[in-house]
Amino acid sequence: MSHAVVFDGVSFTYPGAPDPALSEVSFGLEEGSFVLVTGPTGAGKSTLIRAMNGLVPHFSGGSLTGSVTVAGRRTLDLPPRKLADIVGFVPQDPGAAFVVDRVEDELAYGMENLGVPAATMRRRAEEVMDLLAIESLRNRSVRALSGGERQRVAIAAALTTAPRLLLLDEPTSQLDPQGAEDVLAALQRLVHDLGLTVVVAEHRLERVAGFVDLALGCSPGGKVVLGSPAETLGRVGTGPPVTRLGRMLGWSPAPLTVREARRMVAGTNLGAPVAGDSRGDASDAPGEGPAAQVEGHLSSPASRRSHRQSPPQPPTPPGPRLRPAAAPAVPEGSPSQARVPLVRAQSLVAAHGDREVLSGLDVGLCPGEIVALVGRNGSGKTTLLRCLSGLHPPARGTVETAAGGRPAPGLDVALCPQDPDMMLFCETVREEIEATLAAKGLRGGAGALAGPLGLRDLLESHPRDLSAGERLLVAAAAVVASGAPVLLLDEPTRGLDVESKGRLGAFLRSLAATGHGVMFASHDVELVAEVATRVLMLAGGELLADGHPAEVMADSPVFSPQMARVFGAPWMTPEQVAMAVRGR
Amino acid sequence: MRSSSLRNLALVGVNLLGLLAFLWPFVLPGVAGPTGIGHEADAPWIIAALLGILGLLLFVELGRGGMGPKAVALVGVLGAAMVALRLPGFVAGFSPMFVIVLVAGSAFGPGFGFVQGAVGTFASGLFIGGLGPWLPFQMVAIGWVGMGAGLLPRTRSRGGRIWILAAYGAAVAFAFGAVINLWFWPYRAGSSALGWAPELGVQANLARYGTFYLVTSAWWDAYGAVGNAVLVSVLGRPLLGALDRAARRMSFTTPCPVDSPPERFARAITGHRGLALRARVGRVAAARWRRRVEESPDSTGQDAGEIPGGATRGKCNREQTARGSGVG
Amino acid sequence: MSTTNPFYLLPLFAAAWFVHSARRIEGPGARSFKVFVLFGALTVGTRTALVLLGPVNRGSVLAAMLEGLRVAVMLAVFGTFSSVTDSWRILRLTPRRFHEPALAAALALSIAPRTIVAAARVREAQRMRGIEPRRWRALPALAVPVLATGMEEAGTLAESMDARGHGRGRRSSYRTEPWGPAAWATATTAALAAAVFLLVARALGGGLTPSTFPFVWPEASPWLVLAALSFSLPGALRPETRP
Repeated sequence: MSHAVVFDGVSFTYPGAPDPALSEVSFGLEEGSFVLVTGPTGAGKSTLIRAMNGLVPHFSGGSLTGSVTVAGRRTLDLPPRKLADIVGFVPQDPGAAFVVDRVEDELAYGMENLGVPAATMRRRAEEVMDLLAIESLRNRSVRALSGGERQRVAIAAALTTAPRLLLLDEPTSQLDPQGAEDVLAALQRLVHDLGLTVVVAEHRLERVAGFVDLALGCSPGGKVVLGSPAETLGRVGTGPPVTRLGRMLGWSPAPLTVREARRMVAGTNLGAPVAGDSRGDASDAPGEGPAAQVEGHLSSPASRRSHRQSPPQPPTPPGPRLRPAAAPAVPEGSPSQARVPLVRAQSLVAAHGDREVLSGLDVGLCPGEIVALVGRNGSGKTTLLRCLSGLHPPARGTVETAAGGRPAPGLDVALCPQDPDMMLFCETVREEIEATLAAKGLRGGAGALAGPLGLRDLLESHPRDLSAGERLLVAAAAVVASGAPVLLLDEPTRGLDVESKGRLGAFLRSLAATGHGVMFASHDVELVAEVATRVLMLAGGELLADGHPAEVMADSPVFSPQMARVFGAPWMTPEQVAMAVRGR
Repeated sequence: MRSSSLRNLALVGVNLLGLLAFLWPFVLPGVAGPTGIGHEADAPWIIAALLGILGLLLFVELGRGGMGPKAVALVGVLGAAMVALRLPGFVAGFSPMFVIVLVAGSAFGPGFGFVQGAVGTFASGLFIGGLGPWLPFQMVAIGWVGMGAGLLPRTRSRGGRIWILAAYGAAVAFAFGAVINLWFWPYRAGSSALGWAPELGVQANLARYGTFYLVTSAWWDAYGAVGNAVLVSVLGRPLLGALDRAARRMSFTTPCPVDSPPERFARAITGHRGLALRARVGRVAAARWRRRVEESPDSTGQDAGEIPGGATRGKCNREQTARGSGVG
Repeated sequence: MSTTNPFYLLPLFAAAWFVHSARRIEGPGARSFKVFVLFGALTVGTRTALVLLGPVNRGSVLAAMLEGLRVAVMLAVFGTFSSVTDSWRILRLTPRRFHEPALAAALALSIAPRTIVAAARVREAQRMRGIEPRRWRALPALAVPVLATGMEEAGTLAESMDARGHGRGRRSSYRTEPWGPAAWATATTAALAAAVFLLVARALGGGLTPSTFPFVWPEASPWLVLAALSFSLPGALRPETRP
């Protein structure tokens, strides 16, 4: 089998950058592999992907040594368009990369450039639209699509040219968990059935780790290693929650998927994991009641509340058990009743033009809370955040602050938008943060905000030189600097690796501890599990659920975190489980 | 490379024809003197020729083998900005759109600066100035403004560059006024003491033109001078920063190949300024020599990136000392 | 479009608005129409204001207003053009020779609407941090992200086009653009109206730019007014549907 991609001694430095982005990288990918590219934020994943189709160096500047060969063609000698017949590319931000106006024309664009005959074009377009389920979008304007729809169209457009190598840079970042699952499954099918070589850069490892054959791990400093997913994740030090749990508990090899984790749990006497779909389980009221046991109940998931007060007493198998005191407490009742909400929406109805997006919501955010908004693409999360921030006037109903009256953007409520590039205008990160502070009449203090977010080393860098994830953190810092008591974040996890997400989570917790109210919309179930004190689930503009994460998410087939899938409620994060096991 | 010689030809042609168009009444006084036919009569020919060659230049630059897709995209964005800045009108001789041309020329070099000035003027002329006989003259003149900005000396710090650019902006406002007035001076001034008198000789006419300019346009252009300097000082830093970053991405470097004797010789005689000439002279010989080297067993086989048929040129590390980016 | 006679300009404006409302395509073109109109109004405003800096008399003020009005109508027409056309479909119709410059033109034309939408989002984002975009000191906070994002987007677009094979040479066409009776009707009426303008204007000699100093009420030839209104015909026609 020949190699689809060969890197030979490749080193690359961006123009004006002090350190190389890639350093002496050499590896070969065989045709028909499904490869994951992973590594910390800013370590060079995008650079690696873009070096495979020539965008690095032809469109990035900088200096390149070594050679990258794709199907026998050297990228150094050929501009990307000469590779377009064999390489398909899906960029990180597909919205900016759309060329034409109509979806169907966008799909045809690549084929037209290659001179594909018209009949073949029609056939391929139809097939690809079926594969990605975008048939209904064919006459829509690409600028009017939602984030998830855009990503699907971008992937489809790359597939119509029948490439042999498909490169995707974070293709599921804007997709809800189900959408991400669908896309990855479709890609796997292409690899298995058509022998396509697929290289995916991803941070959300929960699903992708189980699909791929190989992984390329990028480290800061530009080193890249190729290995099996388990090896690479181990070497780079990251991984989905089940892998992290495995490492914490010393399981070897650490599991990559929920299924593997379940098998390992069964083998190690931790108590049989939850079988099948039954995740309903006994859980404690705070500090009282008998032991919560992680057991193999085949009981059907009854209503959550009814199980809370009377945990059943199953026969206890021998072996270590997760201790009761370590079980995360599920507070009774709604925590927001006792305090005055910083911002509140009542009977909120919001619309875009004639289309109603939110129908009669009652939502409140109290000091010290971290509320997560989850829901499918298009369920109204962004609109809700914009209404709460005062940017989007409600069609009916009210949005009020604690002091009464509409919230003043930037004063009562600060919103970190989905697209941070819209905000950045300074030459350095430090100036960016200080710009917000200056608007409030404050000076200095940029370091205090940069530190917790891990930006201290980047204070003197130009924001637009940073990777997507780093820019997001800069935007978050710049927004928090406004000092508003309420902080809203729209999809703050795009481009963030596990460690950065952890730092962001800790930062949000510290804000909550000082009396701020925090609300964020996210598809990232694991971050929600780790950090949120309350979860609101939206669907079709209506509120489906409002409660503790363990209640709302644990038995949802789509939104449950990996720990809950393995061990059942109320286990949400690997840290909780590890503490419970070690504490025996 | 055929297309690059066409580019250079078009650029040179535009400059020559532009000069000619502004100056020709002085060269052929008999045909068009103060009592003779006005510019309006001969204008159509000059204008047609000028437009033709401008069109050719833009056609080549914007097409394949020209500036390249990124540069074309940038011209589009900056051109749109120029249109937007020309909308509010102007205070006497000051038009905010000049700042774009100045900064673009400084960041990307004289060739880009010229194209930007010409294209932006054309686009904004569609909206504002209307389409009139003055348009090609304006395009060339503003193109020259951009070209000049690209030829300014480069200091290391951005602050220094802004300073120089602001000074240039002030000076060029007067220069621009002086040049544009040439369009009608031979005819309008008529038989007054400040008019053109072909029989008096160059020196006397220059003096007359100088006085004419001072009396009529100097104060008008002073607004422009002040306005340009101010705007460049205020907006220049962030704008130049953004454009510089875009410029850096437009060409890349790879390790230099073993220097072939023909290239070394060519560089020695033409020096650092004559890099383009060296490249042309040495390229064929170098390629032949290199092929011999590559076929030998111990070659590294590294090419400096002359990309066939592509608009991006990888530049050998040594070439980085030459001015400007890959777009000229 | 060298007229400053309001009796011709206003019907043109009305025609542009009509066509826009009737035939706009979803996307940034449609959303930015209002902004174009706003820009036009702003232009009238600023030009008038600037003139007031100098010697004030009715003539000069009126001249500035009319000049501003002309620009505003041009903007409205451009806005309609952006909102109603899909520049990429037009691109398909251009002969191969002109493909590259036509592409540059299409790119440039699509930039304005996208920039306008971007500017609105930038304004919002800055508000969210508490940077009030009204004061002039906040101009860099508004202008730089718009320009920088505009340039980055243009760069990303150029990249993506190249990565998908733009400029490889051999091109085919996904579909042929329908050019039927409605298209012919639009083309002929436009050409006719333009011809009317040229001829009648030459005959009348001078009505196109009414003098403002001394001030004289402009006359309006009914033929030209009719010609201006005829530009609204496309708004009433039904387009052919794509195969």
